[in-house]
Amino acid sequence: MSHGGEAVHHGHGGHDEHEAWGTSVWPFVISFGVLALAVAFMLQFVYHKPFAAVIALGLGIPMILGGVAGWVSEAMGRGEGLSYGAMGWFILAEAMIFMSFFAAYWFMRLDVALVWPPAGTVPLPQVLPLVMTAVLVASSLTIHHAEHLMHAGDKRGFVRWLVVTILLGATFLGMSAYEWTHLIHDGFTIATNAFGTIFFSVTGLHGSHVVVGLAIFVAGLVPALMGNISEGFWRTASLYWHFVDIIWFFVVSQVYYW
Amino acid sequence: MNLKEWIFTTDHKRVGILYLIGSIAAFGVAGIMALLMRAELSAIGPTITADPTTYNVWLYAHGAIMILGFQIPALTGFFANYCVPLMIGAKDVAFPRVNALSVWLFYVGVILALLTFFIPDPPDVMWTGYPPYSTITAGNTALYSLTVLILGFASIIGGVNFLTTVAFMRAPGLGWGKLNVFVWCILGAFVMQLIFVPVLGSAVTLISLDKYLGTHFFDPAMGGDVLTYQNLFWFYSHPAVYVIFLPFIGVVFEIIATFARNPVFNYKAAVYGGIGGIVLISGEVWIHHLYVSGMPDWLRIGQMVSTLLISVPVGLLVISLVGTLYKGAISFETPMLYALGVVFLFLIGGLTGIPLAITSLTVNLSETYYVVGHFHYVMAVAGTFAIFGGVYYWFPKMSGRMYNELWGKIGFWITFVGVNIVFWTMMDIGARIGLPRRYYDYAQFPQAADAQHLMTIGAVILGVGFVIALLNWIIGAAKGPKAGDNPWGSPSLEWTTVSPPPHGNWPSPPSVSEEWSPYAHGKR
Repeated sequence: MSHGGEAVHHGHGGHDEHEAWGTSVWPFVISFGVLALAVAFMLQFVYHKPFAAVIALGLGIPMILGGVAGWVSEAMGRGEGLSYGAMGWFILAEAMIFMSFFAAYWFMRLDVALVWPPAGTVPLPQVLPLVMTAVLVASSLTIHHAEHLMHAGDKRGFVRWLVVTILLGATFLGMSAYEWTHLIHDGFTIATNAFGTIFFSVTGLHGSHVVVGLAIFVAGLVPALMGNISEGFWRTASLYWHFVDIIWFFVVSQVYYW
Repeated sequence: MNLKEWIFTTDHKRVGILYLIGSIAAFGVAGIMALLMRAELSAIGPTITADPTTYNVWLYAHGAIMILGFQIPALTGFFANYCVPLMIGAKDVAFPRVNALSVWLFYVGVILALLTFFIPDPPDVMWTGYPPYSTITAGNTALYSLTVLILGFASIIGGVNFLTTVAFMRAPGLGWGKLNVFVWCILGAFVMQLIFVPVLGSAVTLISLDKYLGTHFFDPAMGGDVLTYQNLFWFYSHPAVYVIFLPFIGVVFEIIATFARNPVFNYKAAVYGGIGGIVLISGEVWIHHLYVSGMPDWLRIGQMVSTLLISVPVGLLVISLVGTLYKGAISFETPMLYALGVVFLFLIGGLTGIPLAITSLTVNLSETYYVVGHFHYVMAVAGTFAIFGGVYYWFPKMSGRMYNELWGKIGFWITFVGVNIVFWTMMDIGARIGLPRRYYDYAQFPQAADAQHLMTIGAVILGVGFVIALLNWIIGAAKGPKAGDNPWGSPSLEWTTVSPPPHGNWPSPPSVSEEWSPYAHGKR
């Protein structure tokens, strides 16, 4: 026959003894939580059964939150050496989502529209977005500083600046919610016209990323308060946060100041 | 066997087998849809249903489940999971739990897709879901969007996982130039998934936003643009053809190198030129799906050129495959039959695609059965043959047992005959009669009746062939003879461990020497 073992070397252990098969219950739980959310969406928006939708949400959200919490506590500090590189690939995929929304925007504005903004658009605030930009950039700097302290071994300093970052992120979300409420109050909604569609979907898409970023921070903050700080986790989480920050520049320049 | 160890498993081999079971189940359901459609079309007028919407739901379920529930998960889920860590000498993937999340999200996606048959208003939007129809139909478009979104997300996290795994977890001594061609194909496929799937996810999300939340992305009356959807959709769905093509041609490479006992011919040209070229060009040919949707001529001509350009890297891959056979010590076990079948079917599919790329011809062929026959040859059938051949090829590794060779060959030939009856006839009536695709009935085309009847018979024949293969696997896994660790005599790393491999794959991680290559077959 062809090849022998000579070109491939591995140790000669007994084949019968091997490690137990790795298992984790959390991926399974999270997946079916996602199914419940999908069912809830259809119950609410397709079949108009809000009560059933709330029940599905009541099943799905605890499953996802519990699943993520279980996953984090199971995995924290183990085998995240590669997660930084993996986050790079994930960010590529995320960037393409924003790209699609921007592409839809450009098609509407450059290809179809005769006048822009279309009728029904109210003037957008011009100062608030600048403040929001400043807050988000500041949060990027604070998490960078926190990471720096983590590498230097200053656990308390790390936690302090992490909390500042979370507060800045929450402030950003608060300002965004304030702005949305006012615009909706003025009669400018996602269904008003093409620009309303773009404005609320793009800022909403970005806001959902801020929410996820904050959720990652909070999920890691709990073990961090108990002294369990995983460098791989925080390097990765911070990379994601910087991405959310950078995307905001595109959102702000395309949606508010063009 | 411990059921809990299977359901909650994070081991790449078991995750892979879960992917295989789920995708074969999806294949069965989508195949039944195809048979229902063929039964309906076997004669003019209502045959088994008098309701065209029911037919449209079958059409939707067949396409959506075959592509998103069977081919992509079988190729980038099952084969990637089972083979890639073994081929690169890794104990597992980089993120085993993420892997488990991806397979269960895949199951959730398939469950959603199957809900189609239990809700009162199933989606009837085909797998393409074009607006404005998909935003005004009484069918449940949200089911379509959510299915695509969840399967897409499963794909993305799978992609992140595998790119990281191959980049950082190769065995000592296993350089980039020594990777199996299959591993390169998986890398190419996942790079494309990461770039393009999010765009599909966005496109179908926008449909649901339009339909259920009152946005105006695709509503021209309010400043939206219907063509945006077609652009976003095909920006993913054309590369999706290569996401299917690359892994299946990778499987064929492994099989042909093993059964020809030859190293892969022109490895560098195949990998860097073939796979690299496809990934590079894949992102800028989608507009050829919009040839008849209206566009400026300069764009149409440019797209024709870049579409034809795709045949260069594809040609490099085919030359490599055929060159690998040259002067080989070829034997014709079942996996080899399937692999050679793929080359044959793919060549027919590829060559009949050229008229569709040429703008002057495609205007006449567009929306006819010719298109349906072409893409079934090039992607549906060639891909499915590669999946079946690949399962046969790694069957002894997965189960530790051997399938029945005779029944394997019988199954292959029955399927092969059935497939050519169906899809050759389809291209024929598309080109000669111009029979429009998608229609529930064809009373205006009585001259197509005989051909339609013949295709229905062919569909039953190919169905029988697939069922024989499935039974062969089930019986072989249960009570086939013991296969040994390396029944094919391949030097590739997955054959150096026991069959089936234990958790962790090797007692201690392997390392490879300077002269080793996955295709260095010794002299016989």
